[in-house]
Amino acid sequence: MARKLPDPQYIRDNYEYMYLTKDLKENTYIFNTLLAGNNDVVFRNIKIGRRKIPACLIYIDGLADKSLVAHNVLFPLMIETQKIDENPGTGDEFFERVRELFVTIGEVNVKDKIGDVMDDLLSGETVLLIDGIKKALILSTKGWEGRNISESTTESYVRGPKEAFVETLRINTSMLRRRIKHPDFVIEDMKIGKYSKTDVAIAYIKSIADDKVLQEVKKRLKKIQIDGIIDSGYIEEFIEDNPFSPFPQIAHSEKPDRIAAEILEGKVAIIVDGSPFVLTVPAVFAQFFQAGEDYYERYFLSSALRVLRIIAMITALLFPSIYIAETTFHQEMIPTQLAISIAAQREGVPFPALLEALFMEVTFEILREAGIRLPMQVGQAVSIVGGLVIGQAAVQAGLVSPVMVIVVAMTGIASFAIPAFNVAITFRLLRFIIMIAAGTLGFFGIIMVIMMVLAHMASLESFGVPYLSPITPCRSQELTDVFMRVPWWAKILRPRTIQRKNIIRQEDKRG
Amino acid sequence: MRGKKVVAMILILLTTLLVIEGCWDKREINQLAFVQGLGIEKGEDGMIHLVVEILKPGLLASGGGPGGGTGGGSAVGKPYAVFQANGVDFAKAFANLNDELPRSLFMQYNEIIFLDEKFARSGIYQTLDFMTRNPEFRRTAYILVVTGGSIHELFNIPSSSTLERYPYKEVLGIISNQANTSSSYVCDLNEFIQTLEIPKKAPITGKLEIVKKDGKAVGVRLVGSAVFDNDKLIGFLEEQDTKAVTVLMNKLKRSTLTLDKGLKGEKAHISLVITKAKTEIKPVVEGDKISFNIKVNVEAYLNEQETKYDITEPEKLQQLEVIVSSKIKSAIERALNILQKKYNADVVGFVEILHRSKPKVWKKVVEDWENIYPDIKFNVTVKTHIRRSGLSSKPIHPR
Repeated sequence: MARKLPDPQYIRDNYEYMYLTKDLKENTYIFNTLLAGNNDVVFRNIKIGRRKIPACLIYIDGLADKSLVAHNVLFPLMIETQKIDENPGTGDEFFERVRELFVTIGEVNVKDKIGDVMDDLLSGETVLLIDGIKKALILSTKGWEGRNISESTTESYVRGPKEAFVETLRINTSMLRRRIKHPDFVIEDMKIGKYSKTDVAIAYIKSIADDKVLQEVKKRLKKIQIDGIIDSGYIEEFIEDNPFSPFPQIAHSEKPDRIAAEILEGKVAIIVDGSPFVLTVPAVFAQFFQAGEDYYERYFLSSALRVLRIIAMITALLFPSIYIAETTFHQEMIPTQLAISIAAQREGVPFPALLEALFMEVTFEILREAGIRLPMQVGQAVSIVGGLVIGQAAVQAGLVSPVMVIVVAMTGIASFAIPAFNVAITFRLLRFIIMIAAGTLGFFGIIMVIMMVLAHMASLESFGVPYLSPITPCRSQELTDVFMRVPWWAKILRPRTIQRKNIIRQEDKRG
Repeated sequence: MRGKKVVAMILILLTTLLVIEGCWDKREINQLAFVQGLGIEKGEDGMIHLVVEILKPGLLASGGGPGGGTGGGSAVGKPYAVFQANGVDFAKAFANLNDELPRSLFMQYNEIIFLDEKFARSGIYQTLDFMTRNPEFRRTAYILVVTGGSIHELFNIPSSSTLERYPYKEVLGIISNQANTSSSYVCDLNEFIQTLEIPKKAPITGKLEIVKKDGKAVGVRLVGSAVFDNDKLIGFLEEQDTKAVTVLMNKLKRSTLTLDKGLKGEKAHISLVITKAKTEIKPVVEGDKISFNIKVNVEAYLNEQETKYDITEPEKLQQLEVIVSSKIKSAIERALNILQKKYNADVVGFVEILHRSKPKVWKKVVEDWENIYPDIKFNVTVKTHIRRSGLSSKPIHPR
């Protein structure tokens, strides 16, 4: 005797709180109603065993691995069960038999809430509904086409692991797990996003990561109420300490080796399904000037490169401003010969140095932006045209002086030497502010803006860790990994700024 | 919320900055008149004449111009222009000059102040005062007294007869190069003023002589020095005396010394290079009498010789050392004599040394130093140490 089927509108409104019933027809009807109009949902009605118990297999075409479904679910249920001539039992007993004897799939879960079953179905699992049973078997058959693991395009190394994260969460976690093989390494899952139901994983080492930071991360993640998370950038903006700061307070990387290293220091990684960029907290300013490769290349070179990067940072931030300040306010600071040649070059340039610099810098930024967004072939054309505009034509047309071209070029190249793109952007923005200050107040203006920026940076915190540490508050022990890098055998302790629970990195000193 | 406030604050601050910007001391680099060479003269009418050499960056950077190679006859080709302005005092002349020019005067690159002899004799205190008050002037600018011609003549020396492209550059090069010869002693504005502030000490600075050929200035020589009494020029010292004074002031870096007699008194030239001269001066007070013990330690090496001695032999070397010592001693005594008797100027600063080591005696004598100084006795002892004899030890024996 069939019960009256529930009203479709009622189902759509309340399915999250509804439970499966014993009636297979009603169950399939519910799923049918919910997924009506979707051509990629497959409903496969089968009969199990000699007693021909009706069952229904539901999966999403494209998300579930079809051959897995065919070989490990359909085949045993439809063919193998025919061979067994015994009483398969009824109700729950039968259900257990199916689960234990027939389905040859690694991960199998049992769920009875329609909402939960729906979530799993939509993430690529296969759902097996059997007549007369109020529960559903969730068979893990996720297997969709994704991008292969390939070399990183944003962080490339000369020496070091080449592989980069991909868009699939499980592959990403596996890459981390492969690097840290310890039971204390925990990957916790959660779902964020009302519609997207994006899988977000928190990865950390239980015995190292700071508990407070961990609690804070979880708290902030749980607070997120949004319809969808498409990239880890969403999460970053939601959970950063000071959203009004131009400085990034959460680091991200595309490289599993780098993330693994940071997890080993006691940081917490946040992996978002669909994004190859993994976030790590807490972040300090100094780490944006460290490339992963620093730790793989010998320490002499790495230390020298870090100094070089700091010079590049100062150049990228201040070079045009210093040029403006010196040519409009503090000419006495330029060596005489150079001053004469600058003055000679500027004869006939109609704009003040500030406007000239702004014009060139903006041109350069436009070119850079155009080059990034365009397809490779067109990008080259743009850079050729841009090179001509910046290099030759602007000078010949008398719009800018040749020195200005050098200043802009130096600045541009220097800003490319900053390893972290997000900090480079911050510096690009600050550069313009400082340029205006330099053009109006000279060095006084430059110093004023720098002081403001420094004060702001000193006030920043990332998950309880001061942004400028270990420079200020100063921890001399950790400074050995900021401006230079000490060899690995000398890194006895983990950075104390990140956590204090477990700071011994090496048990014994060498020798 | 706090973050919002801070951001709003910063934005407001920055926007006000844009609106209220005055840029009051903003000067584009191509609107400056680079002065390299500042000359001060005293005219017949008693007015101060300010003569400046202003560079033309365009011509300088483009590599000369038409006049450069052909003798610098045409004024168009010169990479600089000479301007003159007059005024009752330096400040007025400076202001007048600024009014005449299309670009604003930029003094920071000027490293030499040329003083006309007549102007220097009339006293330069007021001018120095102006220069030290005004931040535009370099405190490290050298002071030179120009003799043998006017500043106009100096600034118009044709570039065909100089190595550098304009006269100022030539003089600057000579100044830095004379450290090798110590033929003059050039002091800068800072040192000059510091000397003026020490009671009874007399400043001394370089003397620049304009070399003339057929009545036209063709070059300069930086030889000897100008002695001041307070801020007034009183006379000049010759090259030899200048060297002796630099030794006494412990400022000698390097110098050559030529002996015209051999070891046995025969006529022959021996040339040495003095590499180091260290002088210790100690005052000796006996009752009312003040005298000074001057000990000079000289290090030198042999540069050139006409004689046939083997200097590697210790006795010969000792003999030579004694000769050099006596030569230096007599030079020092001669210079001291000139300073005491002729100029009555305490250039070396004996009064300062007395102040340092015997302040009580100094207090008694400082007021009357002009009368005491000429009669002070100096006991000069010179010790010479010849370290090297050049690359070769024995003289070449021509066959």
